[in-house]
Amino acid sequence: MDVEALEREAQGAVAAASTRVALDEARVRYLGRKSQLKQALRGVRDRESGMTLNAARERLEAAFAAREADLDRAELDRALTEDTVDVTLPGEEFARGHLHLLTQMRREIEDTFLGLGYEVFDGPEVEEVSYNFDALNTPEGHPSRSPVDTFYVSDDVVLRTHTSPGQIRYMEAHEPPVYMVSLGRCYRRDTPDPTHTPTFHQVEGLAVDRTITLADLKGTLLYLARVLFGEERDVRVRTSFFPFTEPSAEFDVSCFLCSGRGCNVCKWSGWIEMGGCGVVDPNVFAHVGYDSERWSGFAFGLGIDRIAMLRHGVPDLRLHWENDLRYLEQF
Amino acid sequence: MRVPVSWLKEYVPFDEPVEDVAGRLVISSCEVDRIVRRGVPDTDGNLGRYLVGKVVEAGKHPNADRLQLCRVDVGDSEPRQIVCGAWNFGTGATVAVALPGAVLPDGQKLEQAKLRGEVSNGMILSERELDLGVEHSGILVLEEGPEPGTPLADVLPLSDDVLELENGHNRPDLLSVYGIAREVAALLGNELAPPPGADPPRADEEPVDVQIEDFEGCPRYIGRTFRDVRIAPSPPWLKARLVAAGMRPVSNVVDITNYAMLGLGNPLHAFDQSKLRGRRIVVRRARKGEQMRTLDDTLRELDERDLVIADAERAVAIAGIMGSLESEVDDQTTEVLLEAANFEPLTIHRSSERLRLRTEGSNRWEKGVDPYLAEQAAKLATQLLVELTGARWTGDVDKRHELPERPVVHLRPERTDLLVGLRTEPDDQRTILERIGFEVALDWNVTVPTWRARDVTREADLVEEVARFRLDDVPFTLPQRTVMFGRLTKDQRLRRTVEDVLVGCGLSEAYNWSLVPVDDDPRAIRLPEPLSADQAVLRTTLRHGLIESAQRNVDGGAEDVGLFEIARVYLPTGKKLPEERWRLGAIASGGFRRAKGVVETLHEALKVELRVAAAPQPFLHPGKAARFASGWVGELHPALLDGTWGMFELDLPTLYEAVPDVVHYEDVITYPPVRQDLAFVVDEAVPAGALIDAAREAAGDELREMRPFDVYRGGQVGPGKKSIAFAVTFQSGIKTLTDEEAADLRERIVTALRERFGAELRA
Repeated sequence: MDVEALEREAQGAVAAASTRVALDEARVRYLGRKSQLKQALRGVRDRESGMTLNAARERLEAAFAAREADLDRAELDRALTEDTVDVTLPGEEFARGHLHLLTQMRREIEDTFLGLGYEVFDGPEVEEVSYNFDALNTPEGHPSRSPVDTFYVSDDVVLRTHTSPGQIRYMEAHEPPVYMVSLGRCYRRDTPDPTHTPTFHQVEGLAVDRTITLADLKGTLLYLARVLFGEERDVRVRTSFFPFTEPSAEFDVSCFLCSGRGCNVCKWSGWIEMGGCGVVDPNVFAHVGYDSERWSGFAFGLGIDRIAMLRHGVPDLRLHWENDLRYLEQF
Repeated sequence: MRVPVSWLKEYVPFDEPVEDVAGRLVISSCEVDRIVRRGVPDTDGNLGRYLVGKVVEAGKHPNADRLQLCRVDVGDSEPRQIVCGAWNFGTGATVAVALPGAVLPDGQKLEQAKLRGEVSNGMILSERELDLGVEHSGILVLEEGPEPGTPLADVLPLSDDVLELENGHNRPDLLSVYGIAREVAALLGNELAPPPGADPPRADEEPVDVQIEDFEGCPRYIGRTFRDVRIAPSPPWLKARLVAAGMRPVSNVVDITNYAMLGLGNPLHAFDQSKLRGRRIVVRRARKGEQMRTLDDTLRELDERDLVIADAERAVAIAGIMGSLESEVDDQTTEVLLEAANFEPLTIHRSSERLRLRTEGSNRWEKGVDPYLAEQAAKLATQLLVELTGARWTGDVDKRHELPERPVVHLRPERTDLLVGLRTEPDDQRTILERIGFEVALDWNVTVPTWRARDVTREADLVEEVARFRLDDVPFTLPQRTVMFGRLTKDQRLRRTVEDVLVGCGLSEAYNWSLVPVDDDPRAIRLPEPLSADQAVLRTTLRHGLIESAQRNVDGGAEDVGLFEIARVYLPTGKKLPEERWRLGAIASGGFRRAKGVVETLHEALKVELRVAAAPQPFLHPGKAARFASGWVGELHPALLDGTWGMFELDLPTLYEAVPDVVHYEDVITYPPVRQDLAFVVDEAVPAGALIDAAREAAGDELREMRPFDVYRGGQVGPGKKSIAFAVTFQSGIKTLTDEEAADLRERIVTALRERFGAELRA
């Protein structure tokens, strides 16, 4: 028997089989019990021809198996082409809630300062006048003390008008160095309108260390402004007055809507007011027992609600408080 | 504060564009809200169409009784014919004329017109038409002098820029044109003119009777008397400056006091001396029950803390705030007592607040006016009274306590660099300080000018004075840290987890006001003076805000509503401050099961065991209300909100407390579990949770899970009974349970439940 010719013929039949049925028929013909090859194997007497025949059988079996896998796969693919979906139809719906925009802002700011190595701290919202004003060096007669601007709970207790009293509480409880931010609700007697709400959120930062400077403040604010509004932003500081800082300044970010060309949001100045800042006043340090000769610090504060409003184009601050799902689900 | 630039330039000449000067002020001195161009538009040669005219002829218009027909010489070869509606002038008057083509301050363009058949080749202007005053009953008659055809702009301030400045609380020295000029001079390095005002010779030596009873409230009082005063309107230049600065001209005497205040920053007052009883001034506190009718014709009840200016008998002014109607300068006044005083800020602030009376004067006093300024203001006003009203200056007194010394503050120039983070050469620091009136000695002892004595008392204040001129140069750096830390606390991290779990449960986050109209707790803190009845009480529960928010969404058409809030509540303690606790509250359509599911998911996420027990709440469905360790969960009482709503509220610190610091691995992989379904028939009143508790007790740790998955009621179990089916998993962490061991665990459970609850195992 010409094993080679037989194997060639069988390989040809494997390749030619285009269905499982044809392949099975060929398998019976070439590898079945009555096939020439099997009969020859049964009749083998010498070792050498046995090895030749067995090798041919193994090759053929592998060829059949490979062809079978190919045909199965082709068959599966054919079946799948008939099972199609309109991929533009929606997928399965999952009820997913939404964090409030202000919470998202809060986390973003917290993360920024955590990255810079700050701690997050928050003092009470119902605060003693001594913390809200006195310890922050606010003189008697300062307009912020007026009940026209501030909610008094009693003569010596107010709803905090800023997060700054938290600075005092923190410093009273910690030795320097201090790197902390404080984010939370504040209260001022503003009648609600599109740009005012009587409750609002502030972020306050305080850094106290051996060599803190106004330049460090500017650099920190620039970092924050770029996190919030993009890498191409600039920051400037303008002189101002706050009782608890000296020098005091206000800081602006270059307008992120018009990039300084002028628009109605920046009132054609190219700058948007962000908040107040300054070098910590020695009187504040004296109040908490820090030595101004050994330590210096900076502090800053800004309104989160307003920043969110500007950055996200929310037209009315009151939307933050209405909890309309049509607003909440956008962020 | 409005600063007319033409006025400013009288004290500090500059050529820089006003926008640039404003830009420098913004960085270093004070906010500039805007720059307003006012008066006659100075574009396209418009100013050239405004000329001085001389009326050559004036007579009645032939066709109109109320009009004059004039011929006015404006320097042309022929006089022009102009029709005019005013009658306060005649032939020979010097007037202001606008030619056809001129654009008026209100934007209107003047055309040649025919009025009742007569050509009008221009317009004779009133001061209001020129935006120089408010007078419109007649035209503006100019002083004789300028030739016809002289540009009107040479005679009158026709157009001007006005800086609208916002003033901080601590810089009263910036509340005057001269004060701003001082800053501008320092910023630009330009020469500052000496302060305006010089005393004319005194005409007489009459005594002036001024008594200060309260030097604390009034450290200084300069009283000057004048005779032969002729009350009249102020000249156009003075009116123009007042109008540009935002004040209404009244009469020459009043205008002069206002002019000196705007120019120098020291408010003045003029009394009609003949109306002062006893021709005397007494500065004292008001008497109990004392009353006074102020210039605005309001009867004011005074308080013993109010400082008043009185004559021999009664109060004639609330010091620094407003004069009395009875002592006012009027058209008949010929004798004036000029007050140039100094008042203590807090007194004025308190009275102004209490009386709700804010004036240009009180606004300056309450910020603290330099007591040395009174003299200069008196000089300026005296000079103008003599020049403009024909008055004779007849008497002068300056009553004062010892005025405060100028503070001397030591500056270490290197300290400036240390705090600012920018090198400023000591010589440059010296120059900056000297330009704004500080005297710097060689040993760096710095003498503060009188007008800054209130706000510059320490080295840090001097550092600010230097720094504010260098703010744009300060570099951007980050702190050189000596210690590194910075992470969230456990509670802060857990709060984020809680927020994320709730969002994952499909709830959205709400922010509600801390102040509510009413609260459950009658002791809740109530604001004595709330903004509105809606925001009057500090909440002790988040429930009300959430219900309201859910309602608002339903009203807005939302079908599936799920909201949560994380915020503080304010629990009354009886002490000074309430106890503020972080709470989590939620409301969701879908009723009890949804709310309970969220509570379970949250506990599972935080690895806190949840055990609930039925517990009614007045605001919950009585049959669907439960308590757990940190709060309550239930179905909202349908009377409170239409529909089926699940709610819960819990105390976050209590929840956090139960969260394990570390979760330890349990081997639930190595040895296979044995799973069985067991159903028990029990009385309707027996809760599933009680069965599970009993089973755990009986079977121990090898009962890995026992989860109810079906409750059946009906014929097969009989009335008053229910069947609860549990999916039960037995598993050991140390070995494979044999069939016998599993059967034994099951038997222990069955026995325990039978004994405790009469529970029958269903086949």
